[in-house]
Amino acid sequence: MSTITLYSVSYDLASVLLGALGSILPGGARAAITSADVVTGLSVLIFGVILLAASMLNTILLIWWERKLLGRFMDRRGAMHVGYAGLLQNFADGFKLFRKDTVRPREADPLGFLTGPTAYMVTSMVIFGILPISTGWNSGALPLSLLLALAIFSFAPLFIFVSAWSSNNKYSLMGGMRSAAQMIAYEVPLLLAVVAVVIVSGSFSLTTIVTEQQNYWYWGPLVLALIVFVAAMLAEMERIPFDLPEAEAELVEGWNTEYGGMLFAFFMLADYLRALVGSILVVLLFLGGWTMPSWVPSAATSFPLAGIVWFMIKTYLVFGVFVWIRASLPRVRTDQLLRVGWNRMIPLSLLAVFLAAALVIVKCLPVFGCLPSVGG
Amino acid sequence: MATPDASDEKPRDNPILWVARPMATAARQFTKSLFRPSTIVYPYERLEDPQFRDRLEVASGKPFGVGRVWDNYRGVHALNIATCISCNLCAFSCPDICIDMVTVPGGDPKHPKKCPQIDYGKCSYCGFCSDACPEGCLTMTTRYELSTPKRSEMVYSPEKLFAVFRSKLPMNPIRLARPANEDAILLDPPLCIGCNACARDCPTGCITMLDVAKPEAKPGEKLPRRIWKEPVVNDSDCVRCGTCISVCPKECLFWGTRK
Repeated sequence: MSTITLYSVSYDLASVLLGALGSILPGGARAAITSADVVTGLSVLIFGVILLAASMLNTILLIWWERKLLGRFMDRRGAMHVGYAGLLQNFADGFKLFRKDTVRPREADPLGFLTGPTAYMVTSMVIFGILPISTGWNSGALPLSLLLALAIFSFAPLFIFVSAWSSNNKYSLMGGMRSAAQMIAYEVPLLLAVVAVVIVSGSFSLTTIVTEQQNYWYWGPLVLALIVFVAAMLAEMERIPFDLPEAEAELVEGWNTEYGGMLFAFFMLADYLRALVGSILVVLLFLGGWTMPSWVPSAATSFPLAGIVWFMIKTYLVFGVFVWIRASLPRVRTDQLLRVGWNRMIPLSLLAVFLAAALVIVKCLPVFGCLPSVGG
Repeated sequence: MATPDASDEKPRDNPILWVARPMATAARQFTKSLFRPSTIVYPYERLEDPQFRDRLEVASGKPFGVGRVWDNYRGVHALNIATCISCNLCAFSCPDICIDMVTVPGGDPKHPKKCPQIDYGKCSYCGFCSDACPEGCLTMTTRYELSTPKRSEMVYSPEKLFAVFRSKLPMNPIRLARPANEDAILLDPPLCIGCNACARDCPTGCITMLDVAKPEAKPGEKLPRRIWKEPVVNDSDCVRCGTCISVCPKECLFWGTRK
């Protein structure tokens, strides 16, 4: 039996659907509708719909997870009334926002005001689409998928700035400026930390990086790179303590002050989608992706969809750490962020790159074991 | 300019501790509230439920409601219609004018029994009425849930207040310390016409009309037309409601200190 992949599932689904549809049609139409091109086209569509549904479902679950965790950190319960343990609360909130009118300020620039949130949302979804979740779910098994993901990831300040400037509000503009300003603080250490991983794994492909972690996960030998990556990722996702662009205490609601209704929901969903993608990247680069350590019993790693399940458990735990940080630390100032970024994180990440290079030369570490032979 | 003293300088922490310390605190809080956060799930649980007795710091062995939190709680009133004497003192003392005396069944037809009806839309829960009540029939309970979609339902009739009384909630008879020898009802005898209005309307029946000797008319003097009786107030039974003063047609009763 061949391995089940996301594309094969959607292809089978498309052929079953079109076959059922064709069986009730006359011969000519049946032949047209069940031709290979139509099936392929529909399966690509279904493939996209599955990706979209998975990303949105996980995003909404992530918001629930954050609300519950944050509640416990604050000695309360979080959402608990709608659905079991408040699971449906965010769906209700989403429907509320969906029903609302889209209000655009009179002085706002319609083009930037409307395209900003959309582009923000779409780019976040594209990153989710190219990330491999398990052996079957590696839709974008591209040789440079890591580079592509990080490139799209750093689009966000542009769209934030566009939408902030277009909304013609001083607080929005300040938030957008801050978003652009803080980018120069975190982007360099983020990429340097990734370079450490790339040096050890010898590949820009996320799938290869995960398979290279069969022997040991990278978080142990590359703990410095992990710390820098998590800190820079917090700034990239604009979460507390680096949520300067959205500083509620200073800038009403930051760059999305003027947004309401569905556009605000776009921003909200895209924010959490980026948080999800950030957690997924941490799992992919440092926590072994869908692989499990050898001491885990095989019964726990070989059930159907085990890869996806383990991957999502890891992802939610990593996001739990982000929530823990959010619950603990206060927001930093712009100058503090820049000082941390340039004075601390860049030297640390350079050190991490150096250590990664040393690891490649040494090849074996006493506790962690040996690197797999590259290209093997 | 004063030079900074070396002892004024705060010790410089390790910056790693700036991150590690709050995170350790948050983790401790998280583990503490993982199974049971401090919040009380209000509509389903209440602070007065037995499992929260510790939080109320109720002294052990005492019945509920005698602890620290509920000691002086002033919630919805409870009215014991049976012992109410319709003295009006609650309505007099109310600073919000939210108490109306309304007729309840049970009085004799000539003098219908009146009991307080309270408008909780206006009530400020000061407790003056309960303090003023001479019979202790108007007390305040620990009930605090009054929300209703209609404003008219905020008005609690005497029957409704009696229902609160019968629900046996912990009650708080507010009693402020008062001087023992307070004002008494005094009489200006020459003005009295012996009309019996005060004795008739006295809620406690502490006024009795006693005969007074009809004086001998001196030649040329005309005696006033009156009934030759005068009210005598039993101070130990009097609740100082002032009803007699307000019904007196000749204004011959007044507040004073008995010699």
